[in-house]
Amino acid sequence: MSQEILDAVVAAVARQKNIPPATIKPETSLEQIGISSLDAITIVYEIEDAFDVEVPNDKLESLKTVQDIVDGVAELMDAGG
Amino acid sequence: MREGKGLRQVVVSGLGCLSALGHDAGQFRQALADGVCGIWALAGFPDDALKLSVAAQVQGFKPETHFSDSEMPLLDRHVQFALVAAREAVADAGLSPEELKSAAAVIGTGCGGKDTDEITYQRLYKENKSRVHPVTIPRGMPCAAAGQISMQMGITGPVFTVSSACASANHAVSQAVMLIRSGLVDVAVAGGADAPFTFGLIKAWEAMRVLAKDTCRPFSADRSGMVLGEGAGMVVLESLDHARSRGARIHAELAGIGMSSDAGHITDPSVEGALSAMTSALKDARIAPGDVDYVNAHGTGTRANDVSETQALKTLFRDHAYEMAVSSTKSMHGHALGAAGGLELIATIMALQENLAPPTMNFTEAGEGCDLDYVPNASRAMNIEVALSNSFAFGGLNSVLALRSA
Repeated sequence: MSQEILDAVVAAVARQKNIPPATIKPETSLEQIGISSLDAITIVYEIEDAFDVEVPNDKLESLKTVQDIVDGVAELMDAGG
Repeated sequence: MREGKGLRQVVVSGLGCLSALGHDAGQFRQALADGVCGIWALAGFPDDALKLSVAAQVQGFKPETHFSDSEMPLLDRHVQFALVAAREAVADAGLSPEELKSAAAVIGTGCGGKDTDEITYQRLYKENKSRVHPVTIPRGMPCAAAGQISMQMGITGPVFTVSSACASANHAVSQAVMLIRSGLVDVAVAGGADAPFTFGLIKAWEAMRVLAKDTCRPFSADRSGMVLGEGAGMVVLESLDHARSRGARIHAELAGIGMSSDAGHITDPSVEGALSAMTSALKDARIAPGDVDYVNAHGTGTRANDVSETQALKTLFRDHAYEMAVSSTKSMHGHALGAAGGLELIATIMALQENLAPPTMNFTEAGEGCDLDYVPNASRAMNIEVALSNSFAFGGLNSVLALRSA
């Protein structure tokens, strides 16, 4: 499942920043690839929609890497059942 | 007021407003002095349908006490607010029908007729009706408030709407100042109105993730975002000569305007853009930074704005930044978007009149990067001769007004 989430996050980040998915790794820093707050909420929105979860606002600020998004979504999915 | 040379001086001779702090300027003045926070639980929507829990809504507004049955179908909620505030401002200024005839009206709105739009979409997409109300267009168009103010007051000069999101009212007032300075008109009604409490628009704001979870705490360490507000703030502007010739009571001098655009990010604020607009306003007003006593900050309570605005203030005012008072009255009347600048202009004028800096309410402890004197939690008696009112909008659109005591 987490591979599926990772693929979706990588695809969303690649789309938002218009960069090749192959350049995005789990450890990729969101700041380093120039993710603004508007980029971040757009990426999270797409992932929320795809996996039917809701990332709380205060959680958003702690997302620093691609893996953080993946872990956050996986955690929410586990919590949701 | 200082006698100027060259450009015609512009003064404020009428005030009118409607907000979470009351239905007229008198109530607004009292609430600012008393530090009343007009933020309550959101009303008017089904429980659990929205995440938004707190709002600065106009309380107990009864449109039927202001408008006839025949007028009502044409008046979107933001237009109702605009008319009530404009009527009050014009009555306060004591203008004659003849003086109004040749006047201008420049009205800001960030949202326009969202309520009308959503009623229409509800019919079409939810109720599956095939037709909509015949006055949907004139009721909901962005220039509806400007048109209705013109019609109801017999204003036949230049009348138009200005829309620049949260800077709409300040930009509108600035256009009116330019019309008067140029000699095109002697008198103008200007300000802003917005009514953003519609289901779809609240959802859209929720998606931005900038709304506070508890209340509006500008510049505080534990601030969690902005609180939406609604209402209208309108002023009557006129040339100093015109005001004197008719013996008008002058509330304040609108001494300078400053406008800039970040040309940067659509939502992230820039220090340079804010700095440029404030610098321009001071230059236009021929005011030295050290002479500013009070700044009514944009102060939304979002993480980004409050740090960026503080940084801009410190860059411009240097050591003086720590000596002047800076407050965000959005902590009381919420962020009324296109009306914000109108309400805050009036708050700033009242600060000059009363020599009383309105407070930043709900302040706990200073946030990181927020180290100025924000007049926390109680208004403060102090000498206020010169003040600025800041509005910085999405789009990177900035508009600052400079004011002097009458």
